[in-house]
Amino acid sequence: MVFNSLTFVVFFALVLALHTLPFSWRVKKINLLLASYLFYAAWNPPFVVLLWLSTVVDWYAAQQIVHSQIASRRRAWMLLSVIANLGVLAYFKYGTFLLENFRVLMAAAGIDYQPPDFAIVLPVGISFYTFATMSYTLDVYLRRAEPTRSFLDFALFVTFFPHLVAGPIMRPTELVPQFEKPRRASSDQLRFGLALITLGLFEKVVLADGFLAGAAELVYDGMRIPGALDAWAATLAFSGQIFCDFAGYSTTAIGVAMCLGFALPDNFRFPYAAIGFSDFWRRWHITLSSYLRDYLYIPLGGNRHGEARTYLSLMATMLLGGLWHGASWTFVVWGGLHGFYLGVERALRQRFSGYRPNALALFGFAILTYVLINVTWVFFRAKGFAKAWLVLSGMLGMNASAVPIISAVQLLIVAIIVGGLVTTHWLMRNSTLETLIARTPVALLTVVWACMAFAILIEQGSGNAFIYFQF
Amino acid sequence: MDKSAPERLTAADRPGVAQPVPERPIPPRPWRSMFVIALALTLLLTGLWEWRMRKLGLEPGDLGDGASAWAEQRRRIDTEDVAVAIVGDSRILFDTDLDRFAALTGVRPVQLALQGTNARPFLENIAADPNFKGLAIVGIADLSYFRKEPGLMGDALKLYRYESPAQKTSFWLYRGLARVFGFLDEDYRLSKLVLRLDPDLRTGVKGPYDAVWKIIVNADERQAWMWPRIEHDDYLRAHARMVWTKLVFSGPPIADDIITMTLAATRKAVATIRARGGEVVFVRPPSAPELRAIEEPRLPRAKGWDALLASADVRGIHFDDDAAMQGLNLPEYSHLTRRCATVFTDAYVRRLVQLTPRLSLRADAAAPLAPRDCAP
Repeated sequence: MVFNSLTFVVFFALVLALHTLPFSWRVKKINLLLASYLFYAAWNPPFVVLLWLSTVVDWYAAQQIVHSQIASRRRAWMLLSVIANLGVLAYFKYGTFLLENFRVLMAAAGIDYQPPDFAIVLPVGISFYTFATMSYTLDVYLRRAEPTRSFLDFALFVTFFPHLVAGPIMRPTELVPQFEKPRRASSDQLRFGLALITLGLFEKVVLADGFLAGAAELVYDGMRIPGALDAWAATLAFSGQIFCDFAGYSTTAIGVAMCLGFALPDNFRFPYAAIGFSDFWRRWHITLSSYLRDYLYIPLGGNRHGEARTYLSLMATMLLGGLWHGASWTFVVWGGLHGFYLGVERALRQRFSGYRPNALALFGFAILTYVLINVTWVFFRAKGFAKAWLVLSGMLGMNASAVPIISAVQLLIVAIIVGGLVTTHWLMRNSTLETLIARTPVALLTVVWACMAFAILIEQGSGNAFIYFQF
Repeated sequence: MDKSAPERLTAADRPGVAQPVPERPIPPRPWRSMFVIALALTLLLTGLWEWRMRKLGLEPGDLGDGASAWAEQRRRIDTEDVAVAIVGDSRILFDTDLDRFAALTGVRPVQLALQGTNARPFLENIAADPNFKGLAIVGIADLSYFRKEPGLMGDALKLYRYESPAQKTSFWLYRGLARVFGFLDEDYRLSKLVLRLDPDLRTGVKGPYDAVWKIIVNADERQAWMWPRIEHDDYLRAHARMVWTKLVFSGPPIADDIITMTLAATRKAVATIRARGGEVVFVRPPSAPELRAIEEPRLPRAKGWDALLASADVRGIHFDDDAAMQGLNLPEYSHLTRRCATVFTDAYVRRLVQLTPRLSLRADAAAPLAPRDCAP
């Protein structure tokens, strides 16, 4: 189920009520585990089996790694876990994609191969929970984490519903220790959690779905040819939409967990204030970028084996990061562009290592970063390369037969929301939401809270799935 | 480059190590009083909004329509012995009074017509369903039926095939709330209202004014009526008329290949239903002369309606052919008022019982209605 649905409101109220009842801690954890399975089954019951499979395989593999003194055996169990997880992910997420590309390859060789139609359904959130559960085996293998003594705690770590389907991608060391001792939200924690849920749903329901998605859809899903104004407006709208959608989900997840007495990590840190692309990836989808860094970039050699290897590792990580988002070459190009940006940035930093930019230059770099990130969003949003080129050529003002697409009010809305978003990110680039709340007058905070809740109610929302559910 | 340190570290700042349990400090604020006041303010604002929306004509009990509501009705064919199902577009949806139908015949049809949607894929769908052996009433607006595209609600079939438990539950909860609150209307969402403020400033843009606005009220079992405000509000009525005449129904004549494809698909679907012991009757609800002037040149009756009946060897009821269906009130040219929908239903049901032995008038059926019974 999605956070922005009436089903979730009822579900969460029941879970919260159950969590406050005077049960033993073990019973409360079992309640949370069953609730998490219910949360997942509400989308498609049979796929709960995948969660069980992930849980059992990684639990058992980690146990074997711990009890094995021989390095090759430890590695074998680690590889078993990785292969099992990535195998499930590959089948469900990339099966059709791989078959289609194989068909194209065969056709290029003059062979008419028609792959069978498996009609594979992509299990919601599979990329997230396979990564979370795999991190447990990898951390145990790398001796970064002690294996959990309780299977219940491990199963709850994998399945805990606030992070289950769209992150933040949790590491065992972040969450498992929280299950060891009884936790219940204080009344202030509960209310602050509810405030975070309000903020997250406001971002998703009102800003992303209500006011920004439409402008992006008109250009990216429509048949008309965009000029510079419409192509840029749609792309900027999407930049705002995807942030409000995903950061909204993460904020809601953090709030939901907080209401139950648990802490989830930050997933965003005002990314549109990034100065440079390494800075962007320290701010955008932090739990994924740090995951890819720790379990892919560093094992590939990172920056420890010379320049050439570093650039290769960087590009490989970003290409795979792109592919993680979806089984499409447009996502690979999106990742490749980011890899290219990061590579160029690294080269420039080395070439001009003595350069100390002033405040104005920093601002200029921030604007440039945001503009170039928007170029990557074109490939992320477009449903194919033809559309991506059409929008990009529109952004460059090269579409001769362009027609106006987005209405004036919609353009104004995009300008206000995206402008406000980028300004907010810039003003808060090294701060936190908590600091802002602590400094804001109570009356203003209260009115803003009420207005956001009211806006959510009157926007109603149509229960649109979060963009990242498809990943 | 930027040397200022962030206030709080994240996983991004801790490469290659075990990540610690996150810290989530609570800002020192009077959360209790803030929560109480924010809740009270939210309730107050929502109450005021509900009052304003009711002033605009929205009412509790208008349940809305969508793929979930349609799928719920469609599943009845899987679980019940459905005697009569209606497929079609918005005209037969608006213009059928299910209560009147049931009062006259003792049979309550399953309403499967969909706004802005081609009836053909849905006729093919029930034709392919071995559970359906009853009477299919296919209500068509010719230009909606003779086209390739499924139209606005084509995805309803997808949801019928699989609807998650969460989606079903949300739909039930929404319907429960819609019985209490009037403001829960898809067409009066905050963002839609804001976007409609656009006075067509950008020339050439297909803006919010060029879309269909609220014209429908939905009750249980997908009983639909024209929204009463359309009958009384000059601006909304003019807008709806503009949408039908300038945007939805205007266009070039329907191509011969589309006509051929439609006739063939219909013939096949009708034959499939009949082979199982079912039957099909077509109904053409009224449209105003202003709209007929657009519809007829694009698809003349002889090439569309008449050819359809002949090709599929099927019976039909066209409003042109029945005096009881003439002169009914179509405020926005395309759909009948609520009262006239009852009159039209009365007329077409009485014709229907003459065309098929599957239905008969009850002994205690009310006297026939006439157009004067719904005169404005």
